[in-house]
Amino acid sequence: MPKAEMLIMPNSEEVETLVIESVRLLAEDFDLAALQQPNSASALYGNEGVLDSMALVNLIADIEDAVSEKFGASITLANEKAMSARQSPFLNVKTLSQAVLERIGS
Amino acid sequence: MKQIVITGTRKGIGRSLAEHYLALGWGVIGCSRGEPSIEHAQYRHYSVDVSDEVAVIEMARDVKRQFGEVDVLLNNAGIASMNHCLLTPGSTVNSILQTNVVGTFLFCREFAKLMRKAEQPRIVNFTTVAHPLNLEGEAIYAASKAAVESLTRIMARELAELGITVNAVGPTPVLTDLIKGVSSEKMDALLARQAIPRYGKPEDVINAVDFFIRPESDFITGQVLYLGGVT
Repeated sequence: MPKAEMLIMPNSEEVETLVIESVRLLAEDFDLAALQQPNSASALYGNEGVLDSMALVNLIADIEDAVSEKFGASITLANEKAMSARQSPFLNVKTLSQAVLERIGS
Repeated sequence: MKQIVITGTRKGIGRSLAEHYLALGWGVIGCSRGEPSIEHAQYRHYSVDVSDEVAVIEMARDVKRQFGEVDVLLNNAGIASMNHCLLTPGSTVNSILQTNVVGTFLFCREFAKLMRKAEQPRIVNFTTVAHPLNLEGEAIYAASKAAVESLTRIMARELAELGITVNAVGPTPVLTDLIKGVSSEKMDALLARQAIPRYGKPEDVINAVDFFIRPESDFITGQVLYLGGVT
């Protein structure tokens, strides 16, 4: 099987930039006014978030693709704890960026 | 060109399916644990254990890079072991569940992500008549396929919003390596329980798969279609 491209270990700012861009593109596709100009504090999924479960699935797939293309890392954001409210990485851009960085580094 | 992913293409029904869709002009992305047995300009092979999560993710990433979107996924790869439950080792149980259940799940999860923008995205899983017939000696194999049927029905609901239909075909015994070593007396007794008591042919399976993946079948999801008149 062909190997993935060489892994580039990004810093937290680079990951957050990637997540923000993915959220912005998703907001265009799903016509989500609240996320047209996302930032680190933008709520995504959960109590204050505007994403429904299908938008979240699309965002996860988009970010996994983007991480593979930009950093050469094959990550999956699926996680046993991912959907529990208290520990969800999908609460906002910041928590999601942290989760992505952890997966790339693991 | 439409792209179809088929697991378990080295031999048996998987190979017949791959050859069928290649003949129709599709791009076929196949996989098996071993080396490829098909040589064709539009065939791409990955040597992958379908239950290896990291390997399946890597395969999906490479398919995305090489081909972009995927139109159809056929989860054909499967293993069986005919044995009395009192004589079945735990290692056999784990092995069958890993390939048949975990493998099917991982391919659905990873390749559904590549089907989001396809025009008529389809997933077809593979079950067996051993489940509805409650065949003696097939406890773990039948149980693993019961799990596949449950995955099929629930994923049909979860993936409906993405426009992906998820169905399953349940072949009767087909003369492949999967049933080699089973006595002819047992096979005859099994066939006698079908409404149409004959062995299945790869063409029978291909026909059912063709039905599920045709564009007109976009209102059909979460269904299990057994062959041979088994209900």
